[in-house]
Amino acid sequence: MYNDRKQSAIRPDDRAFRWVQRVFMLLMALLMAGPLVMMITVSLQTMPEIYAAEFTLLPKDPQWGNYTAAMNNGNWPLYFKNSAIVSAITLVASLFINAMAGYVFARIQFRFRQALFMVVLIGMMIPPQVTLIPVFTMLRSFTLFGGRTGLVNTYWGLVLPYIAGSFGVFLCRQYYLTFPVELDDAARMDGCSRFQAFRHIYLPLSGPVFASLAVLKFAGTWNEYTWPLVVTSGERLKTVQLALTAFRNEGEIFWNQLMAATLVVEIPIYIVFLFAQKHFVKGLLMGSVKA
Amino acid sequence: MQPARYRAQDTRAAWLMLSPFLVFFVLFIAYPMVMSLYYSFTDYNLNTANFVGVRNYVRLTRDPVFGMAFQNTCVYALISVSMLFVLGFLTAAVLNRSFRGVAGLRMLMLYPYATSMTAVSMIFLMLFDVNSGVLNKILRGIGAQPSNWLFDPGLALYCLIFVNVWKNIGYCMLIYLSGMQTIDPALYEAATVDGAGEGARLIHITLPMLRPVALFVLITTMVDAFKTFEQVQIMTRGDPLYTTTTIVHQIYQQGFSDFRMGYASAMAVVLLVVVMAFSAVGLRSNPSHV
Repeated sequence: MYNDRKQSAIRPDDRAFRWVQRVFMLLMALLMAGPLVMMITVSLQTMPEIYAAEFTLLPKDPQWGNYTAAMNNGNWPLYFKNSAIVSAITLVASLFINAMAGYVFARIQFRFRQALFMVVLIGMMIPPQVTLIPVFTMLRSFTLFGGRTGLVNTYWGLVLPYIAGSFGVFLCRQYYLTFPVELDDAARMDGCSRFQAFRHIYLPLSGPVFASLAVLKFAGTWNEYTWPLVVTSGERLKTVQLALTAFRNEGEIFWNQLMAATLVVEIPIYIVFLFAQKHFVKGLLMGSVKA
Repeated sequence: MQPARYRAQDTRAAWLMLSPFLVFFVLFIAYPMVMSLYYSFTDYNLNTANFVGVRNYVRLTRDPVFGMAFQNTCVYALISVSMLFVLGFLTAAVLNRSFRGVAGLRMLMLYPYATSMTAVSMIFLMLFDVNSGVLNKILRGIGAQPSNWLFDPGLALYCLIFVNVWKNIGYCMLIYLSGMQTIDPALYEAATVDGAGEGARLIHITLPMLRPVALFVLITTMVDAFKTFEQVQIMTRGDPLYTTTTIVHQIYQQGFSDFRMGYASAMAVVLLVVVMAFSAVGLRSNPSHV
């Protein structure tokens, strides 16, 4: 409202500034869109077209068959199944565990709470790359369920470290801190235990924070490359991201198939991003402003 | 304001409800952290671990490859961070206004951040490819000399930096944007009345008001850059001539290719010290965290 009135009296140097901004934004938009457009173009071209000398923005005769060829290059249903299972287990387990811990840190008074929270906070800052080797060797030595290499190259070995992330604890704590304390008092009057209060009052109201956390966790797990690279080998547990890199290990790289597979692998992410962008953004911001 | 006495019931409930989280935390974060430190003083090779004192650390200082990795990582971090800092701020400044298509533009800026680094690496491998790559096609098209991109020792690291900036620019924009939206519009109105143009308002109001946000962007992008691994492993494997190897790439190489896990752990500890130093600066400057 206020801004609209100002617009009519725009100053000449502001007008020039606006033009600089427009040009800058146009260049940025081209820069960001370019790689996406080229991925799609190349995914629809024939190899001779890709190796042709001249640049083509749009494929003349879209080769949709590249997509089926790419998906037949390797056991893609299995890779998708693996990534989906890993993401689903991580999502469910970490949401519940993190929410419960977040509730404790937000609502229950007990000795060492501050100190413990501090330790968790510091733990969150430790890069997973630092603990990569010990986590690997620990899982390898866990031979309780048999096998010479323990949990290495098993679903458990792949999933368990993902669940340990403590980012969600902060997000949930932050969110629960905004709830009125009277909720807990009322619950206690009614004879609810702490867990029951969490289970019947806090959990049902956690929709918004769970949505953000779920979107972030899903993207993180689905997109993960390093941990599957380290802990799995062979086809059985291959995730979609690992399977993508296999295209590169062959003698000649079929760029059209590689680009087709790249797009297909990221489609679940783009669908979530498109329809849950609000939650994605909110999660990123919650993690930034006050974590 | 702590209560004089904690309820026994509450304490029991707290520890019980925390226990699943704590089990994971201890097993996958705290204990491995301690083991990383311990391994760094041994010659651990996946089978045996003998105590060797600070030998791994001494060796680090003399290892030319690790020296390259450390230097590459620093160059990568400094350039990435400064570019993200500036470009993120500028795009946020443009998109902090409502006009037709602004939501679409914000989304366009942010989609690379949602894309996996694996997929991004694949796309840029295609773009940078010497023979069939789009970039060389364009260069040839305008009559310029095609480049070797990822195979040019003087250029490869900068290609990786570009990929990193491209992927993360939207994230920086988003954080800046949220900061800009908390600035009191009255400040801008007062400045306009005093005759400040749009550029002047950006420099004299927006920039100073965003100092805490800018610091956060600085720290997160810095920490993120020091953890660089995936694009190196996928796009260059540290080649050509170790010009693109990074600290984490060396950890992976030494640890999981050569099984020198003691030595790799010493590298991991160096990484930890660097990252924690930056994080500590970030935490101290953000008093709202607890």
